[in-house]
Amino acid sequence: MADGETPLLDELEKGPWPSYVKEIKRMASKNAASKDLLGIQELSYKDKVTHWKHGGIVGVTGYGAGVIGRYTDMPDKFPNAAAFHTLRINQPAGWFYNTKSLRTICDIWEKYGSGMTNFHGSTGDIILLGTTTENLQPCFDALTDAGFDLGGSGSALRTISGCVGKARCEWSSIDTLDIIYNLTMEFQDEIHRPRWPYKFKIKTSGCPNDCSAAIARADFTIIGTWKDGLRIDQEKVREYVDKGMDINGLIVNKCPTYALEWDGKSRELKFYEDDCVRCMHCINKMPKAIRPGVDTGATILIGGKAPIIKGAYLSWVLIPFMKMEPPYDEVKDLLRKIWDWWDENGRTRERLAELIERVGLKTFLKEIGLKPVPQMVYKPRANPYVFLK
Amino acid sequence: MAEVTEELKQKVIDYLKTVTKAKNKEVAREIGEDKHLVDKAIAELGKEGKIEYLYLGASFIKLKE
Repeated sequence: MADGETPLLDELEKGPWPSYVKEIKRMASKNAASKDLLGIQELSYKDKVTHWKHGGIVGVTGYGAGVIGRYTDMPDKFPNAAAFHTLRINQPAGWFYNTKSLRTICDIWEKYGSGMTNFHGSTGDIILLGTTTENLQPCFDALTDAGFDLGGSGSALRTISGCVGKARCEWSSIDTLDIIYNLTMEFQDEIHRPRWPYKFKIKTSGCPNDCSAAIARADFTIIGTWKDGLRIDQEKVREYVDKGMDINGLIVNKCPTYALEWDGKSRELKFYEDDCVRCMHCINKMPKAIRPGVDTGATILIGGKAPIIKGAYLSWVLIPFMKMEPPYDEVKDLLRKIWDWWDENGRTRERLAELIERVGLKTFLKEIGLKPVPQMVYKPRANPYVFLK
Repeated sequence: MAEVTEELKQKVIDYLKTVTKAKNKEVAREIGEDKHLVDKAIAELGKEGKIEYLYLGASFIKLKE
């Protein structure tokens, strides 16, 4: 194989979908680090083993998070990518940019790094891929001068993110963007200075549709909801029916708690508020006729995570309803109590959900001063037998 | 939450004189003060340039030399 040829990576350029190989090749024509990155990737595929390794802690002054050190184990062969560190930049809430700020980021990154970016990482940060140890500090200085800051990494509070909320969505029961911004500013120390057993993620969605998948991706999930009943416009309901909607088949029978009933004689959609679990199904199907209630707040859930020590967890309810109004003191106090308990009791790399499972929900609730409520049930009991002690 | 006092900051400094490095929670425990107040005091001391952070897997603080 001639130098610079990448027959295995070339396979990833085939097909109708976008290819990261194509993008790296574009950068390789003007950046030596990107060219070496291609070589490392090709060799990794050939050898069936990664040629990246951990090589010590790198960072910028005053910060313990936000920089992820990357080194190749073949620096002699790939000297331009011997160090290829990643910077995580805290994204604006809702990912709203103007073109000027995007150009600013790209100009800084072309000056100090490989020029390659990832908009965005799975937590939401702007990911700047590949720079040297010497360039970390000047790059960080240029970014902060332009008004940007690093995000979280390691055993820190990760960059807080969520759905676009009220900025573009009429279903949002909470102002997700304000919550994200407020909590980010409050917990700067927790984002930049890793001090816990492992990572901690906060995500928020404006309604139970949970477009940001917060329930599966965050240790602490804030999902907008409402306390009163649905707002139903009966006239609009009848319009849907007159246009041929199968209201029983698509709405009433699909309601998971049978909180709706269609009276064909009076042509009225009856609603049993006590039975509603606010799943959004009827609202999604009849958005012109049914709207969320007006007494809004959030359900707080706890414990979502991907597998590392134990398997993946979905979050479960911790507080069924909490008002979410600035300055969000109630949620901040709760977070601090949870962190203190986890920090004192968690083992290294043990996520909050794993600690709760190890010591029991009862202990957790007692330690943070919450009383159990039925909504906290993690999952229905599957064992039909009763064991008496 | 109560405000950070000069007296509290001095207690943090006095404790740090007795160790090579410490975590925030250890400082709070040893000087018998509220953890969140100590966090704020440490942040202020950091801004004043009197302490520095060490990142060795976890975050530690020490007196600036």
